[in-house]
Parts: sequence; structure tokens; C-alpha cells
Amino acid sequence: MSQTRREFLKSSAAASAAVAMGLPISQTVAAAAKEAEADWQWDKGVCRFCGTGCGIMLATKDGRVVATKGDPDAPVNRGLNCIKGYFNGKILYGKDRLTQPLLRMKNGKFDKQGQFQAVSWKRAFDEMEGQFRKTYNELGPHGVAIFGSGQYTIPEGYAAAKLMKAGFRSNNIDPNARHCMASAVVGFIQTFGIDEPAGNYDDIEYTDTVVTWGANMAECHPILWARVSDRRLSDDNVKVINLTTSSNQTSDIADEEIVFKPGTDLAIWNYLAREAIKRDAVNHDFVKKHCVFATGPYDIGYGMRGTSKYAYAAEKDTQARELEITLDKDEAIAQRKTAGEKVKQNHRSKAMKHWLISFEEFKKGVEPYTLDFVAQLSKGDQDESLQSHKQKLQALADVYLQKNRKVISFWTMGMNQHYRGSWVNEQAYMLHLLLGKQAQPGSGAFSLTGQPSACGTAREVGTFAHRLPADLVVFNPKHRARSEQLWKLPAKTLNPKVGSHITKIMRDLEDGKVKWAWVQVNNPFQATANANHWLKAARKMDNFIICSDPYPTISGKVADLILPTAMIFEKWGLYGNAERRTQAWRQQTNPPGEAMGDVWQILEFAKRFKLKDVWGDSAVPGLKAAGFEDGKLASVLADAEKMGYSPEDNLYDVLFATQENRKVSWPDNSVSKGHANHIAEKLADGWFPEKAMFNEYRQFGVGHQHDLAEFDTYYRDDVRGLRWPVVNGKETRWRFNEKYDPYVKKGEGISFYGKALKALPSGNLDGVTDKNKTKLAGKAKIFFRPYAAPPEQPDENYDLWMSTGRVLEHWHTGTMTQRVPELHRAVPNAQLFMHPDDAEKRGMVRNDVAVVESRRGKFKALIETQGRNSPPKGYTFIAFFDEAAFVNKVCLDATCPMSKETDFKKAAVKVYKA
Amino acid sequence: MNLSTILVISKKESLHEVIDCLNKQTGVDVHHSDPDTGRMIITQEAETIDDEVAGLKRLKKLPNIIYAEMVSHYFGEDKKNYAAVSQQDLDALDNGTSGPVPEYLND
Repeated sequence: MSQTRREFLKSSAAASAAVAMGLPISQTVAAAAKEAEADWQWDKGVCRFCGTGCGIMLATKDGRVVATKGDPDAPVNRGLNCIKGYFNGKILYGKDRLTQPLLRMKNGKFDKQGQFQAVSWKRAFDEMEGQFRKTYNELGPHGVAIFGSGQYTIPEGYAAAKLMKAGFRSNNIDPNARHCMASAVVGFIQTFGIDEPAGNYDDIEYTDTVVTWGANMAECHPILWARVSDRRLSDDNVKVINLTTSSNQTSDIADEEIVFKPGTDLAIWNYLAREAIKRDAVNHDFVKKHCVFATGPYDIGYGMRGTSKYAYAAEKDTQARELEITLDKDEAIAQRKTAGEKVKQNHRSKAMKHWLISFEEFKKGVEPYTLDFVAQLSKGDQDESLQSHKQKLQALADVYLQKNRKVISFWTMGMNQHYRGSWVNEQAYMLHLLLGKQAQPGSGAFSLTGQPSACGTAREVGTFAHRLPADLVVFNPKHRARSEQLWKLPAKTLNPKVGSHITKIMRDLEDGKVKWAWVQVNNPFQATANANHWLKAARKMDNFIICSDPYPTISGKVADLILPTAMIFEKWGLYGNAERRTQAWRQQTNPPGEAMGDVWQILEFAKRFKLKDVWGDSAVPGLKAAGFEDGKLASVLADAEKMGYSPEDNLYDVLFATQENRKVSWPDNSVSKGHANHIAEKLADGWFPEKAMFNEYRQFGVGHQHDLAEFDTYYRDDVRGLRWPVVNGKETRWRFNEKYDPYVKKGEGISFYGKALKALPSGNLDGVTDKNKTKLAGKAKIFFRPYAAPPEQPDENYDLWMSTGRVLEHWHTGTMTQRVPELHRAVPNAQLFMHPDDAEKRGMVRNDVAVVESRRGKFKALIETQGRNSPPKGYTFIAFFDEAAFVNKVCLDATCPMSKETDFKKAAVKVYKA
Repeated sequence: MNLSTILVISKKESLHEVIDCLNKQTGVDVHHSDPDTGRMIITQEAETIDDEVAGLKRLKKLPNIIYAEMVSHYFGEDKKNYAAVSQQDLDALDNGTSGPVPEYLND
């Protein structure tokens, strides 16, 4: 590039950025900015990475993306990008992109022990189909599984869920989003009867107080953190408090940093509730009108296997706690029991059970959580004095309880990836509801998500093992009937038995209960805790694993077939972010080689199955539901024929390219603006699958509190996403609040109108005393949930805590921001952050290579004793982006027993010099 | 070549000091600044995306900088074919062969 052109480009780009950021520049300079980009075509898009949902603009020239910028019109990020933004464009053009299907072969045939060889798509689908039929015929619908994703576009998730649930009659589809926000979902559903937050990011500009709980927003949600920082710096009254188990960057602008011991957030929330009562800060009017009190059983296990059959010898002591625990002194106080008492975990399969209690009972529940008790239990930094920790807890109570002070509580994985994740989510609402600080601008408890469409696809579309679109669930006969009606299926096509959650799919592979699994838009063999078990299951058991991915990953490495897959801007798509905002983009460029989008892969696979293959009688072990024979799905072929289907019809025509959907034509004259659609063009059936499927999907939510706009609306130039429910073209900023939410009737003020779990028996803290159910229309539940100790804690042998998480520049398993697995590197990149004294005690200094070992496995990492993460003594932290430091070999696969979300934050490890 | 524009915010009273410091950084030019808000728009030029990322991380650590994040990124004339490991490592992995099957998948 010539010097003149380079300087011109720089000054133009700078002028354009200045305009976007509102810096004062002259009109002449602003006009010149446009010239440099004269031959670029700009179009709106969404960042590929976290759940914030930043709007970006993409410039293409000659069919390639040449530049990206923060979208100045995007209300989320207002023209900015974080460092991950660098990876949105060029990431499409990596050297190691997979461009052909790869199948393990020996002597020209598939062989599980063979080497990967390039094959045609036809050969790939032939093998996939043959293997599917073998398993489906042997084990039935729950012998097959899909590892889904919170990174699916909405049409991808919809197609995958519909193929599995309506086509294959299997609920064994579960997303990696299970690992990141399932606890938030349980919190929402149990408390409000409907999923997803009341508030939105605008709360940041309205609030007086931001409290972060287990959320290192400065590193993990930097653009939102920029908004928090702006708010903090613009008004001296605004306070920021960071509650964390390890000092981190989020504390840089915080007025207070509270370092607590892992798991004791459960006690801190109850201390705050107790203080609210003691200081007479409860908003009784709000509580009386809009809330009830509730609780549930404590003996619910830890989501581990109930058998030691598969456990390594070293794992058995931790696993045994799944069935019985001995209460420690703190749990005994917290649960009003006796220390040393043995408690069988009798409610492992009934963890979701709950019942109404009185306010008096609730008060009794929180009574033990005095400042003295909670301070000694929760103090996380042994170098801090008890007095100092106490003062901080009191200061925390002061800001929450101050009348008229607006407060938002933000959390991410610290509260969601928690052995009692659902409880601790409910505790956040407990406090906000007690204070009446919920569903109002600037006040509310808000769960941030980690993936770009964890909300929009995984949750709203319902790609979970128990869900259908728009909060419907497979175990509810009315919900199944509504879905069958919308999907034009014979009655009782849908399987009422909840499928396996993502960790259980791994366990099923190990048990031989699942023998065919398809990995879509995620990397579960790196991202699932206790990975040694699952790697072995994938390679040693008799099964067939398919991995759709743009890049080679560990999941690809253990698979039998790899399908080369299109990336974000090579296809049309929509994502839904953490504030209920649905956003869309067009295909900007074609995928390389033979890579194809997931939607095409799913639809092509559907073509290979006739109704007679999948809608006949089939066995589903464990199925028990009214109207169904135990363990069996009956044939629906006769009813299907009455509806006009033939047993010879294939699933592509019945589920996807329906008469209705074929009317939505491609080429498209409404929103395409000349952009290609490689999927529609390859299908060559004259329909626009993403648009047709989105408009079909939105029917589930319209009029049912989950209204999405029409597909075309999201593509309008003046729309930068809309927050659902979108009613009469208008988005909803604060749900449950009459002023903003069309679903709240006039005069109600606040109505928590969600319908799920809104009729309950009554009882006391110990159980149900009156089985008659009380209806709770319009009410939210204030739960009492006690402190419970983590199932694994440091001991003499494994003497340190280890928590995993993200760092700013890498994202999840690193396949896009880091991409090529660095298996052959002598020294890993990932750093184990630890206290310098802990390192010294083990004869190590910064940058030494250390072995990190738990009961389940080990990996190597570089010791880091300085920098942005400063753990207290006894605590270590490591990011999970680096395959060379395979953190999940060490992590415990305990999950919240209610949400089934893994606790990646609390493993006991030992660390020694390599 | 990679070129990015970055919004930098400093305390108002440190603005000139920060501008001087930024202008001394390799590949960095300060183009616009606003004394009322302490905000600046700079460009950063670097050979590769990795250098851009490293550069931005360095900027964030400079004294008196409260905030630095990317606004836009131009990479149309970046000829590098990216992989996270060095070319040398990749060659070692692939034994110098290039083909549709990354060698490490089969090891």
C-alpha cells in the first residue's frame, strides 16, 4: 500500500471513529472519512463471541470481509468493541479451516481406529445415516444425542431441536449453554414462572449501585463494564461493590471488594435478608401485593453419578457424598441441625420440589445468618482481619437496604456454575423482592450470559433436553399438544420423557446408553468437566461421533466423522442476547471449500429418513407418562396418514420444506439486498429456510408473552435488535412493570405473570403440611435457601481450591480466538494464578511449569503470581481456553442438582513443580 | 497490514501527557482529542492481528489511561494466513504437507 493511501486510510478511519464516538471534528474531516471507504459495502452484524450482543458493522469488498467496526447505532455497545472484536472478521480466513468432510477410514471403509481421510458429503451422510439407523434400531430415540449450543443461530437451534424432538422423537439434545446459565433459568422459572430477566442493560444508566457477584465483568463483559465505569465516574453517589473469591480487575473501580470463601455466597445473601428484616427495610407493601414465600428440600445431592461403578479410586470419596453427607459445623448452624449428623440425600430426583411457607417461617430460616456467623464462614482472604470483612459485609447491607437507592446485582458464572446454582440465583431475587427493588429502571437482579445466543436460541428456542420453544416443556401434556398443533404432528408424536442433559450425555456414552452423537457449534469434549472419562468413552466404546466444526478441535479429534462448517458471517442468522434482544445479520461471504452451514447439514440429514423409519413403535426406557404405555412410544403412523402424510414422506418435507415454508421464497426481494445465501442456493428448492423457520418458530411466542417480531423487521436498517416481547412493533424494556410491559394489565402496577409452577402446597421449613395447592397468579416467590457446603473442599492431600473461568482475549475453549490446539507445545500458554506465598511454599516462582492434579486427572500450566488476578492464599484460578492446559481433566463434574449446570469453580487440587 | 482505531479515555488533567506518551508508541498516532472529556481517537498500525491485540493490551497498561477499546479494524490488506501456532510449529505438525486433513487429528 502506498504511503499516501495508508495515511489517507488512517485519517479517514480516525475521523469515522471520532464521529461514531461523538468527538468534535469538522464537517470537512467527517466528509473525507467516507471517501476512503467508498468501494466498501457496509452491513450490520452481531459479535460472534460473548452474551453481551454487541452490534458490529462489517465491510466487504470483492466478496471478502475487509473491515469491522463497532456499530455506532447499536444501543448495547454504542460503537465500541472489546479486544475480541479483532477476531470477528479475519477469523473467517484461518489457515486451518476445515474444507472437506473427514471420516476415520481403514482400507477404504469406516473404521473407528482408522485415520481421518477426506470424503465427499454423500459418503459422509451415508455413514452417518447407516450408523444412526444401527443405533436407533437397537436403542431407540434416546440412544442418539445432539450436543447443541448457546452459539447456534436461532434457525440452527430450531432446526436441530425440531429434527430431534418432532422427527426422531428424542429429547436427547442439550446445549453447552447448560454449562453457563441453566441455574439462571431455574431461578427465573421457579421465582417468576417465566424465563429471562425483567430488566435490561439500560439499568446501568439508571442505577445508583452496581453489585457484582461472581462476575469479573471488567474482563468478561468489558463493553458493559465500560458503561458501568462511565456511570460510576459520572456521579459520586454511584457505588460499585465486587464480591468475588479472588481479587480481579473488576475491583479496579469498585468502592469495595469483598473476597469470600467459595460457596459462602449462599450465606451472605441470607445475611442480607436477615439484615433487611432486622433493620425494617423490607418493602412490606410490595411483598404483600406481589410475592409469596417458599422453600424446598435441602438433601438434594450434588448432581454427580449415584454409583461409584465408573469412578477412579481417588474419586470415590467425593462421589460418595452424592448419596450421604456428614454435616459440618457451619452447615449445621445454617440448616438448624447438629454438626456430625449424617444426612442421606433423599431428594436427589425431587430437587425441584418446593412449597409455600409463611413470612414467620422465612424469618426463622434466615435467623442463624448473623453477621458474626456469616463473617467467620465467608471470609475468603486469610490475610484480611475478621473485623475488616465484617465491616465490608455491613457496608454491602447498607447500600442494598438504603431506601430509595437503586441497586442492580449482576452475576455470571460464579453464581451459575455452582453446586447450588439455582438456590443462589433465587437468593438474588429473594433480596431484591424483599426490598421491592425488582423490575424497575435501575433496580433488579440481572443474570448476564456467556454465549451469544444462550438466551435467543438455547433458552427461547428450547434446545434443552426438557424444553420446547417459548418456555414450553416436554413433560407437560398441554405444552406437547400445542407444539404438535403448531408443528402439524399427530398427537403423541412428542416424547414426554426428559432427555439427558449435556453432562449426562457424556455419562451415557460411557455407559453405552448413547451410541450415536452429533456435536454442533461447540466443543464438549474440551468443555465438560472430568474429561478423562469422556475422552475414553468416545474413543474406546462402541459409538459413532460426528463433529460439525469450522476448525479442528478436541471434539473433532475424538470424533469419527468431522463435517466442515460455515462460520458466522458465511450464513444468515439471528442471535438473542442477555437482555432479550434479538439481532440479525446477512451472509457476507461464502464459506471456503466444501464447508456448509449447520442448517444445511441438518436439513440434508433429515432428507434421509422417512416417517416409517422414525414414527413407528419405539422403546424409550424409563418413559412413564399419562396416556403412554410405560417405556414405549406408540406408532403415530396411522394418525399421520389421517393428517395426509404418507409413511414414505421424508422428514425434510414434513418438518422443514413444508408447503407453507416453501412459499417463503429464495431469491428474496425483501431483505437480501443482493447478499447470497449458500444454504438456500445449495438446497435449490426455491425457499428461504432461515426466514421460513424463524417465522414458523415465532408463532410459539406470539400472544404468549414471548412475542418476537417478523423476520424482516430485524433486518430493517433502522433496527438494531429488539427486546421481546415485541408487541405492536414495540419492544419491552422492563417486564412485569405496567409502565413498560403490555402484558401487565392496567392498574396492576407490577405483575409477575409467568405461568409456570404457580400452584403450590403449603408447609414449614421442614416440609409440606398441607397438600392443597394455592394458586399464585401474578406473584413471585421469595425463597429461603440455606447455606450448604461444597461437595469437594481442599484437604491435606488436595490442598488448594481451583476455579476456572475466562480471560479477556480468549473465549471459551479458544477454537476461534486461539483456534489451532497447541497440543505439541512444550510450554502451555494458560497461567495458573496463585498467591506468591503458596508458590514459594511449593518451591516455585512465577513462570515455572507446574502440575495441577486433582482426584480426576492432571495438566501442566505456567505459574503466575502477579498481574490482574490475585487469588488469596489457598486459592488458584485458571482460564479454560487452552487445550494444552486441559483444565477439565481436573474439574469435578458435580452439578447443581436442579439445573444440572456443572460447578467449574470448586475443585480441590494439589500443585507441584513439573 | 492491520489498522485499528481505538477510543482512549484519560483523566482530563492528564490528557496532554497521555497524548505525548501515545504518540511515542510504535505504530500509534493520536488523531482527535476532546479536552472536555479526556477522550481521544488514535490509530494503531501493526503487521498482524496478534500484534494489534498485543498493542492494545500494552496501551491499556500505560499510565493515566482509564479506558482503551477498539472502535474499528481494517485488515483488507493483511496477507497473513492465520493460525494460532507459529508457521514453524505448524510445519512441524504437518510435516510440511498441506492438505485437507490436519495431521494432528490423526496422531
